Amino acid sequence: MQLFQAFTRSAGAVAVLLSSTALVQAADVSFLTHWAPDTVAKLEAAAATYTQAHPDTKITVRAVPFGDLLTTLRTSGGGAGGATIAGIYDAWLPDLAKDQLVAAVPDAIAADTKANWPAGVIGAASIGGTLYGIPNEIDVYALNYNKKLFEAAGITEAPKTWDEFLAAAEKLTDKSKGQQGFGLINSWAAGVLHPFSSLLVSNGGDLVVDGKPVLDSEAAKQTFELYEKLIKSGYSDPAMATADANTTGPFLDSFVSGKTGMIIMANWWESALKAGMGDNFADIATAPIPVGPSGDTARSISYSWMTVVNAKASAEEQAAAWDFLNWLNGPDSGPTGASAMGDILMSMGILPSRTSDGTAFAERLSSDPFLAGYTGTLANAKPFPVVLGGQEFSESLQKTLEAMQFGQLSAADAQATAQADATEILERNAK
Amino acid sequence: MGAATTTATSSRTKNRMTNTQHRSAVFMLAPATGLLAVFIIIPMLLTIWLSFQNWSTQTGFETATFVGVQNFIDIFASNSVGRDFKAALVNTALYTVGSVAIILPLSVLLGLLVHQKIAPGGVFLRTVLFSTYMVPMIAVALVFSKLYSPTEGPLNQILGWVGIPPQTWLSAPQTALFAIVILNVWQQVGYFTVLAVAGLTQIPDSLYEAAKIDGANPIQRFFSITLPLLGNTLLFSSVIAIINAVQVFEPVALITQGGPVNATNVLTYHIRRVGIERAQGGLGSAMAVTLMLALVVAIALLFAFARSRETKSA
Repeated sequence: MQLFQAFTRSAGAVAVLLSSTALVQAADVSFLTHWAPDTVAKLEAAAATYTQAHPDTKITVRAVPFGDLLTTLRTSGGGAGGATIAGIYDAWLPDLAKDQLVAAVPDAIAADTKANWPAGVIGAASIGGTLYGIPNEIDVYALNYNKKLFEAAGITEAPKTWDEFLAAAEKLTDKSKGQQGFGLINSWAAGVLHPFSSLLVSNGGDLVVDGKPVLDSEAAKQTFELYEKLIKSGYSDPAMATADANTTGPFLDSFVSGKTGMIIMANWWESALKAGMGDNFADIATAPIPVGPSGDTARSISYSWMTVVNAKASAEEQAAAWDFLNWLNGPDSGPTGASAMGDILMSMGILPSRTSDGTAFAERLSSDPFLAGYTGTLANAKPFPVVLGGQEFSESLQKTLEAMQFGQLSAADAQATAQADATEILERNAK
Repeated sequence: MGAATTTATSSRTKNRMTNTQHRSAVFMLAPATGLLAVFIIIPMLLTIWLSFQNWSTQTGFETATFVGVQNFIDIFASNSVGRDFKAALVNTALYTVGSVAIILPLSVLLGLLVHQKIAPGGVFLRTVLFSTYMVPMIAVALVFSKLYSPTEGPLNQILGWVGIPPQTWLSAPQTALFAIVILNVWQQVGYFTVLAVAGLTQIPDSLYEAAKIDGANPIQRFFSITLPLLGNTLLFSSVIAIINAVQVFEPVALITQGGPVNATNVLTYHIRRVGIERAQGGLGSAMAVTLMLALVVAIALLFAFARSRETKSA
């Protein structure tokens, strides 16, 4: 009888221990991203490696088009059923943190992150000194041009100033071939804003300073006028500039098919160019953004992405998510001292932001002339402003710039509208 | 006395039966009306209540603060909030008018073609036409975004063969909305053709035969018999077409993202942008209520127009 009682007690204890272990450790972690299927497969492979050592954690990856990422995050992120982890653009962070959708990084991981990422990138992932995400990629803009079209137009080197840029655009424009000198982008907020902002900062200007828009500056006036000149002279054809929800579309098709001589784009589209151009990708070169009359050196815009954790997820899920992210972005998860995240990003032509990843991939970065053109501009890049109401501000400026692209607004009217709208939007959202 | 007692007893029995029937009716209707209340009436009332509040969609309803009609003032103001809403309202109206104005006559025309018995293949044609309605919008959007491509698109290449210069389709604000209307017409016309055919089958052949004997030609027969007797079908088709058009969302979200220059930014897409992307739930609700009111007014006007025509013809 005693033996039976001892047996039942032991069995009960084992059952309680097993169930409590399961309660503490078992966690379903979902990862929301906008990456393409081949990149998602790489992330799934990394997750599978992680779960081999952490069998109680189940990681699933869910991908949506970039155009739906913020909406998906906001609609499903508001509840416990939303994605546990999400890759987000730094401009969205202030609003997501204000709405308490994202959890602060646990202290130990935050200390490690602050020690291993550049201060500027950490700043873009922090609100009021609190770190909300583990940064992973940094994107910077540069001038991409088609060497074959340059050669055919008798242009020997990439333009360094706006005058040279306009001269090159004129030579590259050939309406009989449906060829434009410089490719604009529309119907996609970042695609419209970032090239414009890159030209603006390369002309010594800014979009926002100390939370207030400064689009009424002389540097901004000259940038609006540059756009007007490109359009009125026919060097840029807005009909070739449309983008779709997947950030592809006619603007990409035109550049890939050799109908666009120059375009300002970020490093991440290397994979899209390679996929679209095949061997012809070798014709594409990268150069710094041309310097405007009020600028002193070639600058461009940079922005970063980070992975955040759903503040509404259970404590177990949050703990498992941070542990996975810490591993994914750590130096032991990838090849030769690189992080697995860095390896995934490099496969897309994206620059990883972890300092040790820069060292681990140094050779690969320097041997890729396309990416080398971007890493060279990183030192002088200005971060895109991260402010409350950033998305509304971006969409408003996008609309104004598009109205100028299609001749609905003059440069002067566009500048006045952009400044007035930005002032009202940023003031309202700051309240 | 006995008769009075019998009458009183009969009346009580009747009352009891009526009460029992009443309770049974309530009991049997409760599931349906309850579901209706939970899924339709309560959300509608909630949306109306939220339209008078300042509320972030990412927070609980307890955080909403009453702002009166401020949201309605804001969406009609001259700042970017008001300009974008008014532009979206106009875009939605243009899209609706364009879609209905093309779909209805085309569906009647195709209905006549399918319904005629002179040439064979009517049923096959009806199947082909209806098949476009069954294609998922994601597939339609993918195909049309490529068809409309300004440099690589087959549509412009075909136009080039007959000497017509390339069109901008989705790539210019002047043509983008119309390009989306064409996409909508292509997908929906089959469904409305089937409705038109259903209406045509209800018209007795004897009327046409009598008209023929009276010497009426096909055009006279169409305007004097077919069109008037298709009135109810066309009214139903108009209501459905208007509601479908006002609710347009997928092609905009999948192809144009409201651009270029907000030319295809229709209200449903704009409400998603404001209410979800920017989490401005109060403003988004005010826009949704305005859209609902506009739809109610449009449908009421349509019924009033139909009724006035009926009265005139009577």
